[in-house]
Parts: sequence; C-alpha cells; structure tokens
Amino acid sequence: MKFMILIKANKQSEAGEMPSEKLLTEMGKYNEELVNAGIMLAGEGLHPSSKGARVRFAGKKSEVIDGPFAETKELIAGFWIWRVKSKQEAIDWVRRMPSCGDEEAEVELRQVFDAEDFGAEFTPELRAQEDRLRAQIEQLAK
Amino acid sequence: MRFMMLMIPKGYESAAPGTVPDAKAVEAMMKYNESLQKAGVLLALDGLHPPSMGARVSFEGGKPKVSDGPFAEAKEVLGGYWMIQVKSKAEAIEWASRCPGSPNEIIEVRQVQEMSDFPEDVQKAAAGFSEMQAQAYPAK
Repeated sequence: MKFMILIKANKQSEAGEMPSEKLLTEMGKYNEELVNAGIMLAGEGLHPSSKGARVRFAGKKSEVIDGPFAETKELIAGFWIWRVKSKQEAIDWVRRMPSCGDEEAEVELRQVFDAEDFGAEFTPELRAQEDRLRAQIEQLAK
Repeated sequence: MRFMMLMIPKGYESAAPGTVPDAKAVEAMMKYNESLQKAGVLLALDGLHPPSMGARVSFEGGKPKVSDGPFAEAKEVLGGYWMIQVKSKAEAIEWASRCPGSPNEIIEVRQVQEMSDFPEDVQKAAAGFSEMQAQAYPAK
C-alpha cells in the first residue's frame, strides 16, 4: 500500500525560514534510511503559501485567491510518498522523523487510493485509461 | 517550474472509511487528467483515502504522539493532488481553473521547492538529495 505523509506547515515554514543545518543533516540521514529501506517513492518541499494561490469553483466560473492563507494549521509544507506493508509501518517510520523540539511539528498520514480500492464504478475502461496514464507519466518522469 | 495542485473537498474531513468518489465525478476527472497528460505537464497524481483511515503524529517537545483519524478540529483536508511542470504560476493557476471542480471544492496551487531555490549553505547541507531522489523514484 502507499501512504502520503503530509508535513503540516507552521509559522517558520510559512515565513520561508530555512531549517537549521543540524535539522537538515538529520533529515538527510533519515531520507537515506527511507531510500535504503526501499520505502521512499517521492518527497518534496513546498514554497510558503504566500507564493501560492487557491481556485474556487462556482458552476462554470472559477475564482482565484492569492496566498498567503491564514489557517496555517490547515496548510502543508511538504510531503513524502512511501510504499509500506501497513499503516502501522508508516506510523513507525514517522515516529522516527527528526524534529526540532521547540518548533510545533505535525505530520498527517493518508492512505493513497490504489485501483483495487475501487469497486464496479471504476469500470474496466476507466482502469485501462488509468493504467495508460500512469505508464505515460512514468515515461515523462524519466 | 513544478507546482502541486492540492484538491481540498469540503466535507471530506468527516468522510467514513471506505468512501469512494462517485462514478460520474471520476469520469469527468479522468478526462481532465488526460488533458493534463496530453499537454505534457502531468508529473504525478494520486487520490487519498479519507482521514478516518489515517493518522497524525505530533512532536511536541520532540516526543512523537500518535492519534488515529478522523481529526475533529480539521476544517480542511486533502483529497488528492496533481504535480505539474509548467512555465509559470499563472499557467499552473490556469490548469487548476480547468479542473471540473464542484462548488464545495478548492484547489490550492503551491510551488515545489527546487534545490536551486535555496541559499548556498542550505544547498550544501542538503547535498546528495537530488541523487537520492533519482535513486528512489524508479522504485514504483
């Protein structure tokens, strides 16, 4: 199964503050462990929401709102995607994540939808379309 | 430049375990996904099971504390994402606006950090990360 690990934003990340060299080094070691364990599928940091935007939909029209967004607790600063055998395995890895004691740090773990998770609504045609899409994406990512 | 388009569906924060999107919505979304792919901008995409099937870990005082979902205080949660490669934030917003979203959905557009975005000392401390990514990504 795949899990998306969401690193929640905080005042520091939203201010665009760089993590300390100590934390960066510890994160580097942690990322290496994830890669060596064959778990790491993807991982990225995101620029603060001040560099972002939100799009709201109302019928055929859409409205664009520029960042930053006030509810820091609802924002994310980065993510990983991991391949694990269970939710517990993902939790165990997250518990070992390096963090600065004085910063508020929160991580959310969310299971990623696999084709097997869908029922009959995900028709054979839609499944074939998804397989084709993913194969093409993989080519582009090379 | 790379951007994440984060799908935030209102109400998903209280969705029961096993909730799946409705067939018509999936069909419309797959058409949109194909248009992203045909334009050569689509790098990755995924849907997420609801928070009731997830967990949170907080690190107050450096000690990990695990809580199982759902999360009562969450007003907004992620339902899925796309990662796209485009020339500008305006282009990313243009793509987000074309998503067949409904009035209870918001797409947040966020720029992905590239190594070259960081000051030199940070790049030094993070040296090896790009190589690490290159090694890791084939493992799909």
